[in-house]
Amino acid sequence: MTALARALNALALLGICAVLGVAFYWQLARGELPCPLCLVQRAAFLGAGLGFMLNVRFGSSESHYGVAIVSALVGGAVAARQVLLHVVPGTGSYGSALLGWHFYTWALVAFFLIALFAAALLFIEAQFAEGVSDWRPTVLAQVLGWLFVLIALGNAVSTLLECGFGPCPDNPTGYELLRK
Amino acid sequence: MIVLPMAVPFIVLVLAAVVAMLGLRKTAVWVWFLALAVLVYVLQGHITDPLKIAL
Repeated sequence: MTALARALNALALLGICAVLGVAFYWQLARGELPCPLCLVQRAAFLGAGLGFMLNVRFGSSESHYGVAIVSALVGGAVAARQVLLHVVPGTGSYGSALLGWHFYTWALVAFFLIALFAAALLFIEAQFAEGVSDWRPTVLAQVLGWLFVLIALGNAVSTLLECGFGPCPDNPTGYELLRK
Repeated sequence: MIVLPMAVPFIVLVLAAVVAMLGLRKTAVWVWFLALAVLVYVLQGHITDPLKIAL
């Protein structure tokens, strides 16, 4: 794995952690609960992050990029679906806007950029020369990996609290498992 | 039709990430496939949610 590919994969992983961090901030500090489609998009971000995390942890592989690209395509399709539903007159919007765009619109742009970024990284052919078995992760790679695990775990716990063990409400107003 | 909790795909993704950090690369990719399948299954129950809220 070349130093450039390693750095860019770590950067992508950090970016996805930042996106999920902002979403968490909006949820916890501003009390805006994510809708079910928003949760699906969060899970797709985690899937894309997993692809980059595998590259950082084990070295580059085409299948790791596949994980990132397929996750981004699924997330992008869901975000596009939500944008198109809210385009229908009278359907309003969900949640508040950030810099003029709603989160699902930002998500659509982010998923497109993730897929494009991962596809562009595939052009660095030298990164595949070493193979995954010879790769030894650095301390930074380990720290980044466990940070990602922590964020994924936080999302899992938060989703369980919000939706409980049944289907998630269409328009969640509180944490199902915390209701008295 | 079985209704899966929304948290299930997240839990499977956590499992994939933990498995990856423990050094099981191929297993992590297979667990991700499972998470993706569960995610798509969960998604089909919520595909028209914004319209349900609005109409």
